[in-house]
Amino acid sequence: MRLFTWWLRRALSAVVTLFLVSILIFAASRLMPGGFAEVVLGPFATPEQKAEVAAKYGLDESIVVQYWLWLTTALTGDFGISMISGEPVTTEFGLRLPVTAQLTLFGVVAAILIGVPLGVLTAVRAGGRRGGAALGRLASGLGVSVPEFVLGSIVVFLFSRYALGLTVGGYVPFGEDPGGNLRSMLLPAAVLSVFVVAVTARTTRDAVLNVLVEPYITAAIARGESPGSIVVRHVLRNASIPVVTVLTTVTAYLLGGAVIIEYLFNLPGVGTYIVQAVGRRDYAVVQAGVLLAAVVFIVMNMLTDAAAGVLDPRFGSAAKGRKR
Amino acid sequence: MTPLLQIDDLVVDYASGGRTVRALDGAALTVEAGETVGVVGESGSGKSTLGSAIGGLLPGAAKVVSGAVRVDGDDVNSLRPTQLRALRRERLGYVFQEPIGSLDPTMRVGKQVELALRGRGTKADVLPHLERVRLRDPERVARSYPHQLSGGMAQRVAIALAMAGKPEILIADEPTAALDSQIREEVLGVIFSLAAESGTTILWLSHDLPAVAKRCSRVVVMYGGRVVESGSAGEVLAAPRHPYTAALVRAVPGELAEGERLVPIPGQPPVLDGPSEGCAFAPRCPDADDACAASRPPLVSVEQRDVLCHLAEETVGAGR
Repeated sequence: MRLFTWWLRRALSAVVTLFLVSILIFAASRLMPGGFAEVVLGPFATPEQKAEVAAKYGLDESIVVQYWLWLTTALTGDFGISMISGEPVTTEFGLRLPVTAQLTLFGVVAAILIGVPLGVLTAVRAGGRRGGAALGRLASGLGVSVPEFVLGSIVVFLFSRYALGLTVGGYVPFGEDPGGNLRSMLLPAAVLSVFVVAVTARTTRDAVLNVLVEPYITAAIARGESPGSIVVRHVLRNASIPVVTVLTTVTAYLLGGAVIIEYLFNLPGVGTYIVQAVGRRDYAVVQAGVLLAAVVFIVMNMLTDAAAGVLDPRFGSAAKGRKR
Repeated sequence: MTPLLQIDDLVVDYASGGRTVRALDGAALTVEAGETVGVVGESGSGKSTLGSAIGGLLPGAAKVVSGAVRVDGDDVNSLRPTQLRALRRERLGYVFQEPIGSLDPTMRVGKQVELALRGRGTKADVLPHLERVRLRDPERVARSYPHQLSGGMAQRVAIALAMAGKPEILIADEPTAALDSQIREEVLGVIFSLAAESGTTILWLSHDLPAVAKRCSRVVVMYGGRVVESGSAGEVLAAPRHPYTAALVRAVPGELAEGERLVPIPGQPPVLDGPSEGCAFAPRCPDADDACAASRPPLVSVEQRDVLCHLAEETVGAGR
């Protein structure tokens, strides 16, 4: 029951957050210098022409009225039309979401399959011989700090200059040509994964190192448990919360669109679309896009909390309203 | 006959931030099977390092410089990893100071006991093991997570885990320091009766001389990384031979008649960065002379007592 009211409170606060975000983004998009009419008609348009365009799209109303109209229709699931293409915003996003979702999926899978084991391994080996730990730190440091556009540009250059079997650009939807889709997605996914894997590995490593110095680990060693058993039975679960947090954050971040990667590899994803919409003052698209990103972040945060409650019984009782 | 535990001239250094701290400066101790030994010393005297060294549990920053630890004649520091694990699993048991902290917070207690029993018991044996440490509601405890237990309950669980394999030696490092005073005696009672049942030798590391003397057959006093006095508990407490032990006895509240003053020990315990030149206690010792500061005291055996003091023979009759 307490758990239920806790989630109810979380849901209510999520709704309030979304409402505030919607106001903020609405105001911000209208505060951008130059409106839609200027962008469409160019610099030499007469005031009469501008007023005509503004009236056509309802932009001559006061901002409060505009917001009210947008909010009430958005609540019915209608986020308006793109003023550039004339298509419903939901249709436009529907075309681009698969690209973003696919990139996100690749990135998160790489983070789980490569980043997490790498982090555990470097942490467990940290006390051990030779420079393995230093090498791991160097690799993850490079992965975190080399900007995506640098690595991405190098990859684009190499693969367009020399025939290495993979294509740069030329995106085809998975449904049309799965093989071609994978060939065009593999490179951007790999570049994206370098960063995601490095962040995950580093977080995992720190979390595991923190657990390894806990007294219950010493106690397990003193009972003669083997290193493998200690990692599997005692370390992983206790180190999991920061790792889950970074994974959900990365997921939310990627779902918001990997703008630089999309630009470099010419992918029609959500990120590029929103950036273009900002430039074109395509208000409905910007509003829906930012709201989408906010929803993703809020949902991911709630998922993180739910996971923490499952993974660590102490969080579970906190969620039930009991003080630790 | 090989003694159960033999520690020879053990020297252990800790590397910390570019400098070296000597935790054990030639500690020596021999324990026979069935003894109950209380190792007494201040923080920094080296007793925890001594306890960890027995199971090869010294942290990465620690280095065994010289000396040896032998359990049943096996040199702990030259065992291969699998042999060391077998030693810890089959022959040693550890109970630490922090009761809740030494249990895995994300695993139910029953499961942790089951894990400790692996290879020597099944799920059905979990409850009897919790009953043995006199937990009142073993079924509920087995279902609980560590944070749902009190400190005393958690320490009983830790004892059950340590005693699951009927170890030859139980090393209890300040097992009651984090507990409320009224449950200390209960927890100690559990440790000593369980050990007596399974014929386990106890090595109890503590800073509380009278508490140790009450339960142990032998008391070992440590100072500056060495064992300075060792003998039967009653005699050490009644007639200490080492000036440090004598000072400890005088500093104990409750052992005095009303109106008598507690005598504090002046100065600070030493922090060594290498072998001590002379007697580590010399700067604080009321009886020290020039020889004490200049040369390391040898071990003197007087009347079934081992004393590490230049003046040991003289102090015999002094009635300290």
